[in-house]
This record gives sequence, structure tokens and C-alpha cells, in this order.
Amino acid sequence: MLMLGYSSAVVIFCTGLYTIMARRNLFKTVIGLSLMEASVLLVIVTSGFIPGGVPPIAPFRGVAVNPLPHAFTLTAIVIGASDIALALAFIVKLNKHYGTADIDKIRGLRG
Amino acid sequence: MSMYFVVFLYVFLVGASLAASLINDILSSVIALSIFGVLLSTAFAIMQAPDVALTQAVINSGIITAVFLAAYSQTEKPGCYGEEPDE
Amino acid sequence: MNIRLALSRLASMILCLSFGMLLFQGIAALDMDNRVTGAAAHYLSNAPAETGANNIVSAILFDYRAFDTLGESTVIFTAVCGIAMLFPRKQILHSARGLSFITRRGIGFVAPFILMYAAAIILTGHLSPGGGFQGGTVLATFTVLMCVVYGSGFESTHLPPWKKDLLESAGALLFAGVGLFGLIVGTGFLSNLSAGFPSGAPGTLFSAGSIPFLNIAVALKVGAGLSTIFYCMINIVEDRRGS
Repeated sequence: MLMLGYSSAVVIFCTGLYTIMARRNLFKTVIGLSLMEASVLLVIVTSGFIPGGVPPIAPFRGVAVNPLPHAFTLTAIVIGASDIALALAFIVKLNKHYGTADIDKIRGLRG
Repeated sequence: MSMYFVVFLYVFLVGASLAASLINDILSSVIALSIFGVLLSTAFAIMQAPDVALTQAVINSGIITAVFLAAYSQTEKPGCYGEEPDE
Repeated sequence: MNIRLALSRLASMILCLSFGMLLFQGIAALDMDNRVTGAAAHYLSNAPAETGANNIVSAILFDYRAFDTLGESTVIFTAVCGIAMLFPRKQILHSARGLSFITRRGIGFVAPFILMYAAAIILTGHLSPGGGFQGGTVLATFTVLMCVVYGSGFESTHLPPWKKDLLESAGALLFAGVGLFGLIVGTGFLSNLSAGFPSGAPGTLFSAGSIPFLNIAVALKVGAGLSTIFYCMINIVEDRRGS
């Protein structure tokens, strides 16, 4: 199950990277960024998993999984939400100023 | 947790991310991203991480989708209203 | 689509696939020996005794690594400041047009239970999965629900922006105050049981020292911040085709 999690996380990361590079709409860029962040969180949580483990809530009924990646991931999820909201606020302001959400047209209109 | 369910979940996760990336309509991509978030929360729950699953479910479906739709409703979409005559 | 666009997309896809293969080789070289070692093993065996909390992840976030949580609250505050600077509040219209009568009455019946659910997540964060982040986000989502059902005029009368600023600052000051209390007593910034906070019996509601206070502080900050983000970004779009 670990290898399944790692390989799907790599595929999602590459999908996010392709979305950022090859799509012209700025909303797609933000969606790609969100996908990349989610794949990294999946790798972090999968790295702490022990097959046959129980959640890290005392008292344990078996072998507990590693609780340290969970603490990192909680912080990273909330920070990811904040920076996606900031990126979307920038897109709204860009759209009000240039009238379009297409990165090629914005680069062409400037100057 | 049977192995078939876990494999199906991960394949669906990759499929939802591909749908969010490749669909041209923005609204459908945002909905695919929301589905991706819920499936990721289920994957976290299978990995015995209940705190992380709760946080991911609430933040993705509550805040990220709402802010995306609020931002998308503010933009001018091409070919929607066109130029209105003033009279 | 023309040939240049197709060629550029093909080049990006080849680049992403090769990068993915490199990443996979890097991840496959991680050692998976299925044991918990190092600091995490110490946290798993000693956290209920040293902090009084049953939820080990809460104990790590609010006692062993509480300074990182303070930094994360600062990141949320910075993002809220950035978004609030971009959208001036005077240009936002307030509409009282929500959904239909049945929806309003139904949500009015359900709303206290949603608030009770958020309070239960926040206050029992040291006993079961939950805590300040989860409960604060449920509170922010509750205000988004109120905006959808009752219209954005509901927010301007019941929870105006200055009240949300007050709540967010109160959360930040509570967090810093709990930390400074440890400094004043003499055991160090953000120390939990050694600074004199009552430990209580593990497994009861009033236990785990300063962790419930930090949970409430983080919930106020996250809830008020995310709600401010949403309300800064909506603007009532006038229906140009007539309604």
C-alpha cells in the first residue's frame, strides 16, 4: 500500500506541474498549484504509515503510526489554503485591470 | 480494509486530478478539485490519520471551493454578455 | 489548435514525465523499515504523562512544537492582511436576497447544532481527533453558509468586519499571553505543565494544562481570518439581463 500511495502522489504532482506549464487560464494555474501541494501532503502522510497500525490517540490498541508527519501536514494544509486564497485575490484584481484571465493576452497587453 | 477498495480509491484519486487538469471549463475543474479533496481526505483516513482527514475535508470543501467560486464569479467571462448598448 | 501549441504542450508533457520518473526513483530509495524511531517514539510513549493530553498530534502541535503553531498563525494573519488590502470595503454592496423561505427556516433550526459541533471539536481537541484548526474552519464555513442562505446583508449587521478583527486579535493575544505567562513564571516561552498550568486527570475535559486555551486561541484566529477572506472577495454581481 505504501508503493501505491507514493506512485499516485508522483502522478498527481506531474499532473499539477503540467497544468501550470501548459494552460493559459490563470485559474488553471491555481488548480495546478493546489494539486502539487496535495501530492506532497500525501507523500508526507504515507511516509509515516505502519501497516497494521492504529491512530495516534492514547491509549493505543496496537502499534501507533508516526504522529510527527500528521503535525506537519495539519500546518501545511491550512497554509496551503491561505496562499491559494491570496493567489485568487490577485487573479480577481488582474481581471479587473486587464479584462481577461488569459496569461498570454495579459503579457501581450502590457507595455 | 480490502485491497480492491484501496486500489480503486487511488485510481479514482488520480482520475479526479486528471479531470481537474484537462477539462477546459473552469467550473467543472473546480468541482473536480472538490471531489479530489474529499477522496484525499478518505485516503488520509485509511492511512490512520484522523486529524489530518478532518482538516482536509473541512478546508477543501468549505473554504477552498467557496473562495474559488467567489473569485470565479467576479471575472468577466468571454462571450457572455458582450457589449451592451446604452439605450 | 495550431501546431505550435500542440508542440509546446507535447514538450511540457515529456518534461513532466521525465521529472516524474526522477521523483519516483528518489521516493523509492526511502527506507521503509516500519518502525517509529527518534523523537516520534519519545512523543508516543511520554506525551500523556508529560503533557496530560491523550491526542498525541495535539500534544505535538501545542506543547512540543507550539512555536511552529505560532508561526503558522502569523502566516494566516499575513494572508488575511494581504487580501484585505486588495479589496476596499467601501465598494462592496450588501444584498439581503438569500434563498427561499423554507431554506431560511430550515437553516435557522440547524444552525445551533452546527455551532455546537464546532465547539465540541475545539474543546475536546486534546482527547480525540480535532482541535483549534478544524473547529475554527467549521466556524468560518458556518459564516459562508449564512451568507449563502441569508444574503451578505446578514453579515454586515450581525458580524461586521470590526468585530471579526477584534476576534482575530483576541486569539493572537491569547496565544501570546499564554506563552508570556510561561516566560514570566520562569520556565520558558510557551511551556505547559512546568509553568504551573493545572494538569488534571488524563482523559477528562479539564486537563492537559494550557492546550485547551491554545486550542481556543487558534480557533478564533483561524475562524475569523478565513471568514474575513471570504467576505472580502464576494461582490454582488448585478444581474444585467434583469431579474
